[in-house]
Amino acid sequence: MQLKKTKKYLQKLRGILFLNSLNNFLTILLISTILILSLRSFNWFIFNAKWSVITTNIPLFAFGTFPSDQRWRPIIWIVSLLIISLLSIIPPKWKWFQKNLIIAWIGMIPLGIFLLYGGLGLQTVMSRNFGGLTLTILLTICSSIFALPIGIGLAFGRQSSLFVVKKLSSMYIDSMRAVPLIAVLFFGQLLIPLFLPLGIEIDRVWRAIFAFTLFVSAYIAEDIRGGLQAIPNTQLESAKSLGLNQFQIIRFILIPQSLRIALPALTNQVIGLFQNTSLMSILGLVELLGVGRSILANPKFIGQYIEVYIWLASVYWLICTIMALIAKYLEKRLKIA
Amino acid sequence: MNTIINVKKISKSYSKGLLALDNVSLKVNQGKVLVIMGPSGSGKSTLIRTFNGLETFDSGEIDILGIKINENYNERRIQKIRKRVGMVFQQFNLFPHLSILDNITLAPLNVQKRSRVDAEEFGMYLLNQMGISSHAKKYPSQLSGGEQQRVAIARALALKPELLLFDEPTSALDPERINEVLDVMKKLAQDGMTMIVVTHEINFAKDVSDQILLMDSGKVIETSTPDIFFSNAKHERSRKFLNQLDK
Amino acid sequence: MKSYKTIFFQIIIILLFILLFGFLINNLIINLIRTDLGFNFSWLLKPASFALAEHALPYSPSDSYAWALFIGLLNSLKVIFISLFLSTILGTIIGLSRTGNNILLKIISSSYITIIRQTPLLLQLMFWYFVGFLGIKNNFIYFSNLIKINNQGIEFFGLSLTSEFSALIIGLSVFTSAFIGEVIRGGIISVPKGQWESYRSLGLTEKNGLIKVIIPQALPAIVPGLTNQYLNLAKNSTLAIAIGYSDIYAINDTIINQTGRAIECFIILLLTFLILNLFITNFMETINKLVHKKKIYIN
Repeated sequence: MQLKKTKKYLQKLRGILFLNSLNNFLTILLISTILILSLRSFNWFIFNAKWSVITTNIPLFAFGTFPSDQRWRPIIWIVSLLIISLLSIIPPKWKWFQKNLIIAWIGMIPLGIFLLYGGLGLQTVMSRNFGGLTLTILLTICSSIFALPIGIGLAFGRQSSLFVVKKLSSMYIDSMRAVPLIAVLFFGQLLIPLFLPLGIEIDRVWRAIFAFTLFVSAYIAEDIRGGLQAIPNTQLESAKSLGLNQFQIIRFILIPQSLRIALPALTNQVIGLFQNTSLMSILGLVELLGVGRSILANPKFIGQYIEVYIWLASVYWLICTIMALIAKYLEKRLKIA
Repeated sequence: MNTIINVKKISKSYSKGLLALDNVSLKVNQGKVLVIMGPSGSGKSTLIRTFNGLETFDSGEIDILGIKINENYNERRIQKIRKRVGMVFQQFNLFPHLSILDNITLAPLNVQKRSRVDAEEFGMYLLNQMGISSHAKKYPSQLSGGEQQRVAIARALALKPELLLFDEPTSALDPERINEVLDVMKKLAQDGMTMIVVTHEINFAKDVSDQILLMDSGKVIETSTPDIFFSNAKHERSRKFLNQLDK
Repeated sequence: MKSYKTIFFQIIIILLFILLFGFLINNLIINLIRTDLGFNFSWLLKPASFALAEHALPYSPSDSYAWALFIGLLNSLKVIFISLFLSTILGTIIGLSRTGNNILLKIISSSYITIIRQTPLLLQLMFWYFVGFLGIKNNFIYFSNLIKINNQGIEFFGLSLTSEFSALIIGLSVFTSAFIGEVIRGGIISVPKGQWESYRSLGLTEKNGLIKVIIPQALPAIVPGLTNQYLNLAKNSTLAIAIGYSDIYAINDTIINQTGRAIECFIILLLTFLILNLFITNFMETINKLVHKKKIYIN
């Protein structure tokens, strides 16, 4: 009986993989190449790689040069972020929860600033000691949360009937989307101090967040514009015939609907932003990729490119996958196809 | 009298254990018209699609024009079948980016390797037969539903098939347009084309078919001639179905 | 019939904007005076006094800054156009693999896409450069002096490409191909399922059906996404600075380091990319029109 079943299964497999002669050849070629590569990688992985470069540097990768006795602070922040993310996906059925969730997310920023920078009873830590995954997360979260309202504003500005507003928004969006991110980040670091009055200084981390925010808001604006265009006209007609005024229509219909439709694009932006924080490693901030580069510059770990790169790639890939899953759950919850 | 198609006990199940086709058998001889009827979801479309390999099945055998196919999907045999069997779909499925004439000549040129002159001549002849030769250079979106469906029939006929399959050919048409398509199909039957038609059009079934097959939940409920079926159906289920249609 | 309210409102916005702008420019001028830089473009004619490893046209450190920038632009264009070409070909293969019949190909292309799209481009470029090229100990490929790949770069029928250039185009093309693959896949699945059944029931082979029926209908959906990816590629090419290739951004960076002329260089870079953007967008718009000629007839 088992024999018959396996025979049938093999026949089916044959039908799927070996459709015709071209496919046959391709399949055989691919399978043999994959086998050879896997065996060699496996061999290297177990026997030749020196993973101590990773294992001894895990605190660096996670927190940068944050003082070791204060490490509980970034840990608390990251854990609370995880909790809020979880609660966003599987929310308890309390009514007051929905409203306060947004406030909770926004509250993560002051919480992060307090825990990381210190003050008010906690030992102060200079931002040049921020690093590793903590810094990456700080950059991503702050930039995303700041960029969203600006992006919404720009999107509506672009549709405005007021000529000046429309032109300014369009010019901003189009220029930001034409220039490379690294240029915006670089000039952010360089030029922001030039535009500030004497005596006021912003540290590098905030200059980076500012630059990221300006950049991402233009892309968010375009995604939301796409969402706005996808709202059927019948929605507007019903809203108008109910007597809602312009502001109410924007607040109750346009913003929620466009956000819902644009959600996949928006989550993609955040995932992209998370990866793009790596650009700061060439501009002086030691976030996750930057830690990797500085470790490789250490004579003790010279030449161990493959180990470090594979480790970094895995961390980025894993976190992006988690973010993508969260995004999928969010979409399902808001019932998008 | 040749047997064009002989279906022997084919079954197909979906992963949840539901049976799309349950031990279905039928036989159609040359020049005859078989009409398949039944409620939606009864498996009629699935059945007709197994004849030209658009659907696979899990057990049984189909002998079509001497070519035998079974549960193992055999690409080469299916291709041979498709060169000799034509299909007309509910949604016409014309190629929107090609002109009417190009739609009709695409397969003759690329599958049967005929010359362009031959293919276009025959294509215009077919369009003439349908009464729509003036549309030859137009595009599908410029034609009405009834006209598009007639083009689809011409497209299938361009390969000079020995069997024509129709999957609810008039279900997507406006009521006024249905007759122009049914008339074409009647004429084809009169000219001796072997046809298998899935349809809800009872009058067509009464006038044109030689055999009626009623399906429900993947099973064949009854198969008989139209006289018997419509006046004195053998099975209870058939009578129930006919009563529903009358409403 | 513009109401006074809207005009009033707009005037307020213009005033606010001018105020903000003025405040910023004021600070800028103060700071510029402080650092004794001023604002002019005359320094562009001064000698650059830095060497460049790669230049398509003759260049020496005694040439002007303006010439150095132009060389940088040529370097960028070289990378961008070659990578556009390679990534499109690779992306098409990936996209077709994803929608094809071969399950093994499907799995491989899906894994390829997910790995590449979920790791930073910078990391990938560093991989190709430090591990891919600089990590080669001996000659990697050696076909009788015609094709040589080692840690100096690629030698290809007499053409020699540096390792920086090669790593950059391979890294950029591989990265962009994953996104292009998804665009192509999206276009193909947007074609109604009935079209596939149609050409199959007519007996057309899969190859013929794909070329004559499916792809012409998929193109209108593919072109906008493709344009986006091309623009992204052009912008991403600026990561060249991380692996030592002197593209327009890298040279811009060097000049700022030497002369301190941040504002002027910023404007130059901004203008360059705006023009490049316009060029690519217009080119793709022409292609879009060509593809859409047939689309009038598709509902």
